[in-house]
Amino acid sequence: MLLADRSFRTLLSREILRFTRIWMQTIVPPLLISLLYLVVFGVALGPRIQEVGGVPYLQYILPGVALMSLITGSHMNSSWSVFDAKRERYIDEVLISPMSDLQIALAYSLGGTLRGLIMGTGVLVVGIPLVGVTVEHPGLLLLIGVLSSFTFASLGTMVGAMANRIDHISFLTNVVVQPLAFLGGVFYSVEMLPGALRMAILFDPIFYMIDAARYATLETSDLSPYPTLGIVLLLAALAFTGAWWAINRGPNLRY
Amino acid sequence: MNEPVPALKVEKLRKTYSNGLVALDGVSLEVAAGRFFGLLGPNGAGKTSLINSVVSLARPDSGSVEVFGKDAHREFREARRMIGVSPQEINLDKFLTVEEVLLYHAGYYGVEKKKAKERAEELLERFELTGKRKQRVSVLSGGMKRRVLFARALMHDPKLLFLDEPTAGVDVELRYKLWEYIRELNHGGLTILLTTHYLEEAEELCEEIALINDGRIAAQDTSVGLKERYAAQSIEEVYLKVMGHVAGG
Repeated sequence: MLLADRSFRTLLSREILRFTRIWMQTIVPPLLISLLYLVVFGVALGPRIQEVGGVPYLQYILPGVALMSLITGSHMNSSWSVFDAKRERYIDEVLISPMSDLQIALAYSLGGTLRGLIMGTGVLVVGIPLVGVTVEHPGLLLLIGVLSSFTFASLGTMVGAMANRIDHISFLTNVVVQPLAFLGGVFYSVEMLPGALRMAILFDPIFYMIDAARYATLETSDLSPYPTLGIVLLLAALAFTGAWWAINRGPNLRY
Repeated sequence: MNEPVPALKVEKLRKTYSNGLVALDGVSLEVAAGRFFGLLGPNGAGKTSLINSVVSLARPDSGSVEVFGKDAHREFREARRMIGVSPQEINLDKFLTVEEVLLYHAGYYGVEKKKAKERAEELLERFELTGKRKQRVSVLSGGMKRRVLFARALMHDPKLLFLDEPTAGVDVELRYKLWEYIRELNHGGLTILLTTHYLEEAEELCEEIALINDGRIAAQDTSVGLKERYAAQSIEEVYLKVMGHVAGG
């Protein structure tokens, strides 16, 4: 049976319709916040900070800010979409349709992936001329973007399917993703951290994504980019397995 | 000669919820193709659990379900494609308009676009929803939402239709219209399984009735057969006798 059959494509297009229909809520505010980061940290505070890794500060933070926006968009999209559908039970229509759980998990996760990519691209489209930078490895950047977005969209699908209350969703955003994104080296290099923190950051998945995105954009990074890409690939596979499992086994999803 | 394949064949279905409640206690049921079948019972008797188990919204502990000869678990795509469900609780996708609800539903069931559009036109008209087609479902009245649920269940042209309390909260006029329409569908060959609290509704519509209580089928026969067996004037009397008997042990 073809994975991307009409049923799957319909659910995916519904996911896209959802976030484009409420674009004032899903696309504009997060883009604005990311651009504010660039303005506040880069333009206002940036000149007071030395170059990082031989790169002007504003250029240094751009890939991370774009990636943070991408991650926020992707996980929020699928977590809210799945949670809303579950809370109001219209997910039943999808669950009893001829789609497999794999197709359902993939459609929700790809919907979130796309929203994340739109967010990340939006920041780059405005940020690149503002900062004046040329992307060194655009293909690699796209690959990192897709994998990172897919990872967090899958995580969102998983949490949306597992959540029983709204605060479970906000916990993912406010207590897990946002702190990990801030600590993941958006605004600094790990070289600037003391030893213990430098070790701790290696457990932050977002660190690898930002580091690889920075390499792809500026050719400067804390780690070697290709093993990092492998780690990101592994994270994407793990997160999607979680999403698939949760659509199959999530509490109160099926009775 | 081969036996005709039943629309629904449920065998020894058992479902226990995580809180220990046994919702279905070895239910076996056969609904012949083309039949208008009623499933009656008090709240919590297992009616919705049975429907949910057939469409994989509930996971039975054991037992088997076949829809027109297709195993609901192993051949779930084929089986689910043949089933339409109008659920008890309104569960419409709030991001969509009336027309989109119908078209997306058809898409989920793999219906080709052109065919889906034609079907949507037909059902919008039939359920007097044409004027509301561009409205979001979230702003509709309860009765309108119920109509959309109905139309949605029919969008992919199912062969077996589950109507779970379809007329709950529906005004008398709409109720009669719905009756007329589902009767017409049934005459056209659609098998219907109806659960309802309105016993006169079951008596009016159903050829065959099963009474379910505490997760077990307490009695099953044609409407006439049940009345004869329980020496009753109406299905309501049958119901009270069967349930009273069950309650009394």
